[in-house]
Amino acid sequence: MRMKKFINDPKHLVEELLDGLVLAFPEKVRLAGGNIVARTVPKSSDKVRLVTLGGSGHEPGLSGFVGEGMLDCSVAGGIFAAPGAPGCIEAIRSACAGGSSALLIVLNHAGDVLSANITMEAALREGCKVKMVLTHEDISSGPNPEERRGLVGFLPVYKVAGAAAEQGASLDACLEIALRMERNMRTLAVAVRTATHPSTGQPIFELGDDEMEIGMGQHGEAGTGRGKLKTADETAEIMLNMLLDDLCVTAGEDLLVILNGAGATTLMELLILFRRVAHILKARKIRLVRSAVGEFITTQEQAGFQLLIARMDPELVKLWDAPANTPFFVKP
Amino acid sequence: MFAEAAKSLRSQHERLSELDSVAGDGDHGTTMLRVAEQLEHAVDPSSSKNLQSILRDTGWSVMGVDGGASSAILGTFFAGMADAVMGEDSMDGHELAAAFEAGLRAVSRQTKAQPGDKTMMDALVPAVNALRLADSASKTIPDAVEEAASAARSGAGSTKDLVARYGRSKFLGEKTRGYPDPGATSIALLFSGFSAALATERKS
Repeated sequence: MRMKKFINDPKHLVEELLDGLVLAFPEKVRLAGGNIVARTVPKSSDKVRLVTLGGSGHEPGLSGFVGEGMLDCSVAGGIFAAPGAPGCIEAIRSACAGGSSALLIVLNHAGDVLSANITMEAALREGCKVKMVLTHEDISSGPNPEERRGLVGFLPVYKVAGAAAEQGASLDACLEIALRMERNMRTLAVAVRTATHPSTGQPIFELGDDEMEIGMGQHGEAGTGRGKLKTADETAEIMLNMLLDDLCVTAGEDLLVILNGAGATTLMELLILFRRVAHILKARKIRLVRSAVGEFITTQEQAGFQLLIARMDPELVKLWDAPANTPFFVKP
Repeated sequence: MFAEAAKSLRSQHERLSELDSVAGDGDHGTTMLRVAEQLEHAVDPSSSKNLQSILRDTGWSVMGVDGGASSAILGTFFAGMADAVMGEDSMDGHELAAAFEAGLRAVSRQTKAQPGDKTMMDALVPAVNALRLADSASKTIPDAVEEAASAARSGAGSTKDLVARYGRSKFLGEKTRGYPDPGATSIALLFSGFSAALATERKS
């Protein structure tokens, strides 16, 4: 099937989408060099700066969360491809200018981690005060945390670490908050229809008309279970139970739930799914203390969703509730 | 050498993308085209840069391609080679082998991928080993590089029967069997380019 997308020359996708982002939200974000999105009004230099990096084509992730209360800067890569180390080093260097320190938040994907490690080595050699946290919460990629991919879990990590930084927490304190959030969250994804790669026009994976795949990654990486398409209630129940088991959640605990649409799954479907998640939690006497439903990281017109659960303590809830003002995540 | 390597990558970029669409997102050829552009810019005859700066600058500009793991690995390789090269303008066979080994060491520091994982390492490791062996056997540089290219080609060819165990394509498991790894194929093209450049030089 012919690709039907409103794009121009595929060579300029990233440049044009970043241009659009800063033109649409000029009071929040600006371009700071080729593919670096930074806050229009930087926070004061005594506060820790949050920096992230990752491929493009997943909007609003990741650059859509640059702004007050969350990221200070995001380095965008090519379509589904990590940005190179030179741009990332430049971002850390400007984040650390004037004696500031920086926390680099990286989603666990091979290319991103490679660029991040090269960046950390060079930045530390230059004397930058920077620490790194890797998010890896996808339970479908095996029991070993090192092997687990980073999915929508970047969102609560940006949120709580960003709030801590905004309140003046030290680099070590921001890192501790980020790690606590990271260790207490789990995500599982499901796909029902493929997306086309906007540069090549080719589908990124094949899936039968009546099939779904639980555990599929952000780029069509195979998951754990391909099977016949199920109803919203059945799918939500299977996935939520897998997540609750993996995080060992027991009755009486407090959870944050995030339901993230992959790009082509409607808000109607997400709300129907969320309803079932809330019902099951209630029946199991697990408290749903905070929630978010929407599109935070997408893969073009892929249909499917990511379900995240995270165990919250009072401090994490407070940080989640703190103000944020970014293009695609706002808390009053 | 870089110009021939770029030509070699350019000539096959469509095939690289095709291979990548089996195990990845089908953009490896596009990434390698952009790497090729950086290689072509590497050698500016009007510049007085020494070999070390040429390699270091090329490495960092290849890393700057934003093409995910492949450009990061190749850039790291060239920048790593620079660390073994002093200010000199030419290298003997021994120094050449040492430089390629330094490049491989730099890459190994950044990735845990090993030969057999169906990655660039399946071509890179045998190529660098072949270069070292040829140097120990006192072969000429063009012969040594030709042996490295041939080792890279058979290394890349051997990935056809492997199942990906590293990077994004490891999640595709068995689906990756039957096709050579695009990254390893690119390494083979790169070394074939180096070898072709030296062969042309020898003739002229």
